[in-house]
Amino acid sequence: MDSVLRAAAIYLVLMVLFKIAGRRSLAELTTFDLVLLMVIGEATQQALLGDDFSLTNAVLVIATLIAIDIGLSLIKQRFTWLARVLDGGPTVLVEHGRLLPERLKRARLDAEDVLEAARSAQGIVELRQIRFAILERNGKISVIPYE
Amino acid sequence: MESGEPQGELCSRRDPVREDMALQRKVWRFERWGWYGLLLLVALTLGGLFSKGPLSEAQVHSADGQVRVEYQRFLRNGASDTLVIHLRGQPNTALEARIEGELLQGFNIEMLQPQPLKASAAGQGVKLWVLSDADGQAVLRLNLRSDGVGRFDTQVALGAGAALQFSQFIYP
Repeated sequence: MDSVLRAAAIYLVLMVLFKIAGRRSLAELTTFDLVLLMVIGEATQQALLGDDFSLTNAVLVIATLIAIDIGLSLIKQRFTWLARVLDGGPTVLVEHGRLLPERLKRARLDAEDVLEAARSAQGIVELRQIRFAILERNGKISVIPYE
Repeated sequence: MESGEPQGELCSRRDPVREDMALQRKVWRFERWGWYGLLLLVALTLGGLFSKGPLSEAQVHSADGQVRVEYQRFLRNGASDTLVIHLRGQPNTALEARIEGELLQGFNIEMLQPQPLKASAAGQGVKLWVLSDADGQAVLRLNLRSDGVGRFDTQVALGAGAALQFSQFIYP
Protein backbone atom coordinates (compact mmCIF):
# COMPACT_ATOMS: atom_id res chain seq x y z
CA MET A 1 0.00 0.00 0.00
CA ASP A 2 2.67 2.48 0.94
CA SER A 3 4.48 2.00 -2.39
CA VAL A 4 1.46 3.45 -4.19
CA LEU A 5 1.06 6.27 -1.68
CA ARG A 6 4.73 7.17 -1.88
CA ALA A 7 4.75 7.21 -5.66
CA ALA A 8 1.54 9.27 -5.81
CA ALA A 9 2.85 11.77 -3.26
CA ILE A 10 6.15 12.19 -5.08
CA TYR A 11 4.39 12.54 -8.42
CA LEU A 12 2.18 15.29 -7.02
CA VAL A 13 5.00 17.12 -5.25
CA LEU A 14 7.26 17.03 -8.30
CA MET A 15 4.44 18.24 -10.52
CA VAL A 16 3.73 21.21 -8.26
CA LEU A 17 7.43 22.05 -7.87
CA PHE A 18 8.08 21.96 -11.59
CA LYS A 19 4.97 24.08 -12.20
CA ILE A 20 6.45 26.63 -9.82
CA ALA A 21 9.79 26.40 -11.60
CA GLY A 22 8.03 27.25 -14.86
CA ARG A 23 8.16 25.70 -18.28
CA ARG A 24 11.51 27.26 -19.14
CA SER A 25 13.45 25.91 -16.18
CA LEU A 26 14.61 22.63 -17.67
CA ALA A 27 13.70 23.11 -21.32
CA GLU A 28 17.18 24.15 -22.37
CA LEU A 29 19.43 21.77 -20.50
CA THR A 30 22.77 23.26 -19.59
CA THR A 31 25.44 21.05 -18.09
CA PHE A 32 24.50 22.32 -14.68
CA ASP A 33 20.79 21.67 -15.24
CA LEU A 34 21.65 18.09 -16.08
CA VAL A 35 23.58 17.71 -12.84
CA LEU A 36 20.74 19.36 -10.93
CA LEU A 37 18.27 16.95 -12.49
CA MET A 38 20.37 14.00 -11.44
CA VAL A 39 20.62 15.31 -7.89
CA ILE A 40 16.86 15.76 -7.77
CA GLY A 41 16.50 12.17 -8.92
CA GLU A 42 18.86 11.03 -6.22
CA ALA A 43 16.95 12.92 -3.53
CA THR A 44 13.66 11.51 -4.76
CA GLN A 45 14.85 7.92 -4.88
CA GLN A 46 14.97 7.44 -1.11
CA ALA A 47 11.52 8.85 -0.55
CA LEU A 48 10.13 6.70 -3.33
CA LEU A 49 11.57 3.43 -2.09
CA GLY A 50 11.89 3.98 1.65
CA ASP A 51 13.99 1.23 3.15
CA ASP A 52 12.50 -1.42 0.90
CA PHE A 53 14.94 -2.20 -1.90
CA SER A 54 13.10 -5.26 -3.14
CA LEU A 55 12.40 -5.89 -6.80
CA THR A 56 8.69 -5.99 -6.02
CA ASN A 57 8.74 -2.53 -4.50
CA ALA A 58 10.63 -1.09 -7.48
CA VAL A 59 8.11 -2.63 -9.89
CA LEU A 60 5.17 -1.37 -7.83
CA VAL A 61 6.55 2.17 -7.65
CA ILE A 62 7.34 2.32 -11.36
CA ALA A 63 3.96 0.83 -12.26
CA THR A 64 2.19 3.38 -10.07
CA LEU A 65 4.09 6.31 -11.59
CA ILE A 66 3.30 5.20 -15.12
CA ALA A 67 -0.32 4.47 -14.21
CA ILE A 68 -0.73 7.98 -12.78
CA ASP A 69 0.88 9.44 -15.88
CA ILE A 70 -1.44 7.56 -18.23
CA GLY A 71 -4.43 8.32 -16.03
CA LEU A 72 -3.63 12.01 -16.01
CA SER A 73 -3.28 12.13 -19.78
CA LEU A 74 -6.66 10.40 -20.14
CA ILE A 75 -8.25 12.87 -17.75
CA LYS A 76 -6.66 15.73 -19.68
CA GLN A 77 -8.10 14.36 -22.89
CA ARG A 78 -11.54 14.30 -21.35
CA PHE A 79 -11.38 17.67 -19.60
CA THR A 80 -9.60 20.10 -21.89
CA TRP A 81 -9.67 22.88 -19.30
CA LEU A 82 -7.46 20.75 -17.06
CA ALA A 83 -5.05 20.21 -19.92
CA ARG A 84 -4.89 23.95 -20.46
CA VAL A 85 -4.25 24.58 -16.77
CA LEU A 86 -1.57 21.89 -16.49
CA ASP A 87 0.15 22.35 -19.82
CA GLY A 88 -0.44 26.05 -20.32
CA GLY A 89 -0.48 27.62 -23.75
CA PRO A 90 1.95 29.36 -26.08
CA THR A 91 2.91 32.96 -25.36
CA VAL A 92 4.01 35.48 -27.97
CA LEU A 93 7.22 37.23 -26.95
CA VAL A 94 8.14 39.16 -30.10
CA GLU A 95 5.58 40.66 -32.40
CA HIS A 96 6.63 42.17 -35.74
CA GLY A 97 10.20 42.70 -34.63
CA ARG A 98 9.15 44.30 -31.37
CA LEU A 99 9.81 42.79 -27.95
CA LEU A 100 6.98 42.55 -25.46
CA PRO A 101 8.97 43.42 -22.33
CA GLU A 102 6.24 42.90 -19.75
CA ARG A 103 5.69 39.35 -20.97
CA LEU A 104 9.40 38.63 -21.03
CA LYS A 105 9.72 39.86 -17.49
CA ARG A 106 6.89 37.71 -16.22
CA ALA A 107 8.24 34.67 -18.06
CA ARG A 108 11.66 35.38 -16.49
CA LEU A 109 13.32 35.79 -19.89
CA ASP A 110 15.24 38.54 -21.61
CA ALA A 111 16.04 39.62 -25.15
CA GLU A 112 19.18 37.48 -25.11
CA ASP A 113 17.15 34.30 -24.69
CA VAL A 114 15.01 35.20 -27.70
CA LEU A 115 18.06 36.09 -29.81
CA GLU A 116 19.77 32.87 -28.80
CA ALA A 117 16.80 30.88 -30.02
CA ALA A 118 16.70 32.96 -33.19
CA ARG A 119 20.37 32.32 -33.90
CA SER A 120 20.30 28.63 -33.27
CA ALA A 121 17.02 27.91 -35.05
CA GLN A 122 16.91 30.38 -37.91
CA GLY A 123 20.34 31.96 -38.19
CA ILE A 124 18.81 35.32 -37.37
CA VAL A 125 20.97 37.85 -35.55
CA GLU A 126 18.74 40.86 -35.23
CA LEU A 127 15.45 41.38 -33.48
CA ARG A 128 13.88 43.27 -36.37
CA GLN A 129 14.22 40.21 -38.61
CA ILE A 130 11.92 38.31 -36.29
CA ARG A 131 8.26 38.34 -37.16
CA PHE A 132 7.16 36.33 -34.18
CA ALA A 133 8.93 34.66 -31.31
CA ILE A 134 6.72 32.34 -29.31
CA LEU A 135 7.39 30.69 -25.98
CA GLU A 136 5.95 27.23 -26.50
CA ARG A 137 4.32 24.97 -23.93
CA ASN A 138 7.45 22.88 -23.60
CA GLY A 139 9.51 25.96 -22.74
CA LYS A 140 11.29 26.26 -26.08
CA ILE A 141 11.21 29.51 -28.01
CA SER A 142 10.19 29.15 -31.64
CA VAL A 143 11.11 31.94 -34.01
CA ILE A 144 9.25 32.86 -37.18
CA PRO A 145 11.25 35.19 -39.44
CA TYR A 146 9.94 37.61 -42.06
CA GLU A 147 9.70 36.06 -45.49
CA MET B 1 1.08 44.53 -41.08
CA GLU B 2 -0.11 46.56 -38.16
CA SER B 3 2.69 48.66 -36.82
CA GLY B 4 1.03 50.19 -33.78
CA GLU B 5 -0.56 47.29 -31.91
CA PRO B 6 -3.92 48.38 -30.60
CA GLN B 7 -3.90 45.68 -27.89
CA GLY B 8 -2.02 45.95 -24.65
CA GLU B 9 0.77 43.56 -23.93
CA LEU B 10 -1.29 41.49 -21.57
CA CYS B 11 -4.20 41.03 -23.97
CA SER B 12 -4.60 37.70 -25.72
CA ARG B 13 -3.29 37.41 -29.28
CA ARG B 14 -5.11 35.40 -31.92
CA ASP B 15 -2.35 35.47 -34.49
CA PRO B 16 -0.02 33.60 -34.93
CA VAL B 17 -1.21 31.51 -32.00
CA ARG B 18 -4.34 31.62 -29.95
CA GLU B 19 -3.41 32.76 -26.47
CA ASP B 20 -5.25 32.71 -23.19
CA MET B 21 -3.61 35.53 -21.34
CA ALA B 22 -6.04 35.39 -18.44
CA LEU B 23 -4.88 31.86 -17.74
CA GLN B 24 -1.25 32.70 -18.49
CA ARG B 25 -1.34 35.52 -15.96
CA LYS B 26 -2.74 33.11 -13.41
CA VAL B 27 0.12 30.72 -14.21
CA TRP B 28 2.64 33.52 -13.75
CA ARG B 29 0.98 34.52 -10.50
CA PHE B 30 1.15 30.90 -9.35
CA GLU B 31 4.86 30.78 -10.21
CA ARG B 32 5.45 33.97 -8.27
CA TRP B 33 3.58 32.82 -5.15
CA GLY B 34 5.18 29.43 -5.51
CA TRP B 35 8.57 31.10 -5.37
CA TYR B 36 7.59 32.92 -2.17
CA GLY B 37 6.28 29.63 -0.84
CA LEU B 38 9.58 27.90 -1.54
CA LEU B 39 11.47 30.71 0.20
CA LEU B 40 9.19 30.37 3.20
CA LEU B 41 9.70 26.61 3.23
CA VAL B 42 13.48 27.03 3.17
CA ALA B 43 13.32 29.62 5.95
CA LEU B 44 11.11 27.40 8.10
CA THR B 45 13.42 24.47 7.49
CA LEU B 46 16.39 26.55 8.58
CA GLY B 47 14.34 27.56 11.60
CA GLY B 48 13.76 23.93 12.47
CA LEU B 49 10.11 23.29 11.67
CA PHE B 50 11.16 20.01 10.08
CA SER B 51 13.50 18.86 12.85
CA LYS B 52 16.94 20.04 13.94
CA GLY B 53 16.75 23.77 14.51
CA PRO B 54 15.73 26.37 17.08
CA LEU B 55 12.01 25.70 16.58
CA SER B 56 12.51 22.00 17.11
CA GLU B 57 15.01 21.69 19.92
CA ALA B 58 13.37 21.78 23.33
CA GLN B 59 13.78 20.65 26.88
CA VAL B 60 11.52 20.11 29.82
CA HIS B 61 12.35 19.62 33.45
CA SER B 62 10.35 18.47 36.39
CA ALA B 63 9.30 20.94 39.09
CA ASP B 64 11.83 19.56 41.58
CA GLY B 65 14.61 19.64 38.96
CA GLN B 66 15.37 15.96 39.32
CA VAL B 67 14.63 15.07 35.71
CA ARG B 68 15.42 17.05 32.60
CA VAL B 69 14.83 15.86 29.06
CA GLU B 70 16.29 17.30 25.88
CA TYR B 71 14.26 16.35 22.83
CA GLN B 72 13.27 17.36 19.31
CA ARG B 73 9.71 18.60 18.86
CA PHE B 74 9.73 17.62 15.19
CA LEU B 75 11.19 14.49 13.69
CA ARG B 76 11.05 12.75 10.37
CA ASN B 77 10.03 9.18 9.76
CA GLY B 78 13.09 7.01 9.28
CA ALA B 79 15.58 9.57 10.59
CA SER B 80 17.44 9.07 13.84
CA ASP B 81 17.97 11.46 16.67
CA THR B 82 19.09 11.56 20.29
CA LEU B 83 16.93 11.95 23.35
CA VAL B 84 18.90 12.96 26.43
CA ILE B 85 17.54 12.32 29.92
CA HIS B 86 19.33 14.01 32.81
CA LEU B 87 18.64 12.50 36.22
CA ARG B 88 19.66 13.78 39.63
CA GLY B 89 19.48 11.75 42.81
CA GLN B 90 21.69 10.22 45.47
CA PRO B 91 25.41 9.86 44.57
CA ASN B 92 26.61 6.45 43.43
CA THR B 93 23.23 4.79 43.49
CA ALA B 94 21.11 3.18 40.86
CA LEU B 95 18.55 5.71 39.67
CA GLU B 96 15.37 4.39 38.24
CA ALA B 97 14.17 6.11 35.07
CA ARG B 98 10.63 5.35 33.98
CA ILE B 99 9.77 5.96 30.37
CA GLU B 100 6.10 5.67 29.62
CA GLY B 101 3.70 6.69 26.93
CA GLU B 102 4.04 6.36 23.22
CA LEU B 103 7.81 6.61 22.85
CA LEU B 104 8.24 2.93 22.19
CA GLN B 105 5.47 2.96 19.59
CA GLY B 106 6.83 5.84 17.58
CA PHE B 107 10.53 5.09 17.86
CA ASN B 108 13.00 2.26 17.76
CA ILE B 109 15.65 2.58 20.41
CA GLU B 110 18.85 1.89 18.50
CA MET B 111 21.32 2.53 21.27
CA LEU B 112 21.36 3.36 24.96
CA GLN B 113 24.29 5.10 26.54
CA PRO B 114 25.36 4.19 29.15
CA GLN B 115 24.04 0.64 29.18
CA PRO B 116 21.55 0.48 32.05
CA LEU B 117 22.32 -1.78 35.01
CA LYS B 118 19.05 -3.49 34.37
CA ALA B 119 15.87 -2.86 32.51
CA SER B 120 12.34 -4.04 32.97
CA ALA B 121 9.00 -3.73 31.29
CA ALA B 122 6.56 -1.33 32.89
CA GLY B 123 3.17 -1.45 31.22
CA GLN B 124 3.50 0.32 27.89
CA GLY B 125 6.97 1.58 28.72
CA VAL B 126 10.24 0.55 30.28
CA LYS B 127 12.13 1.08 33.51
CA LEU B 128 15.88 1.58 33.30
CA TRP B 129 18.36 1.70 36.16
CA VAL B 130 21.47 3.79 35.73
CA LEU B 131 24.26 4.38 38.21
CA SER B 132 24.69 8.03 39.17
CA ASP B 133 28.12 9.66 39.47
CA ALA B 134 29.69 11.16 42.61
CA ASP B 135 27.54 14.29 42.23
CA GLY B 136 24.36 12.24 41.97
CA GLN B 137 23.96 12.95 38.26
CA ALA B 138 23.24 10.48 35.53
CA VAL B 139 22.82 11.22 31.86
CA LEU B 140 21.03 8.70 29.71
CA ARG B 141 21.29 9.05 25.95
CA LEU B 142 18.79 7.26 23.77
CA ASN B 143 19.51 7.00 20.09
CA LEU B 144 16.08 6.84 18.51
CA ARG B 145 14.98 6.09 14.99
CA SER B 146 11.55 7.48 14.17
CA ASP B 147 9.21 4.76 13.04
CA GLY B 148 5.75 6.18 12.77
CA VAL B 149 3.83 9.22 11.72
CA GLY B 150 1.96 11.71 13.89
CA ARG B 151 2.09 12.90 17.45
CA PHE B 152 3.60 10.85 20.24
CA ASP B 153 3.31 11.78 23.91
CA THR B 154 5.92 10.48 26.31
CA GLN B 155 6.30 10.65 30.08
CA VAL B 156 9.60 10.37 31.89
CA ALA B 157 9.98 10.12 35.65
CA LEU B 158 12.64 9.42 38.23
CA GLY B 159 11.56 6.52 40.42
CA ALA B 160 8.11 7.07 41.79
CA GLY B 161 8.44 10.85 41.44
CA ALA B 162 6.27 13.09 39.33
CA ALA B 163 6.44 12.43 35.62
CA LEU B 164 7.28 15.11 33.13
CA GLN B 165 5.59 15.01 29.81
CA PHE B 166 6.53 16.04 26.30
CA SER B 167 5.16 15.41 22.87
CA GLN B 168 6.91 14.91 19.58
CA PHE B 169 5.63 15.06 16.04
CA ILE B 170 6.96 12.77 13.33
CA TYR B 171 6.58 13.86 9.71
CA PRO B 172 5.96 11.19 7.11
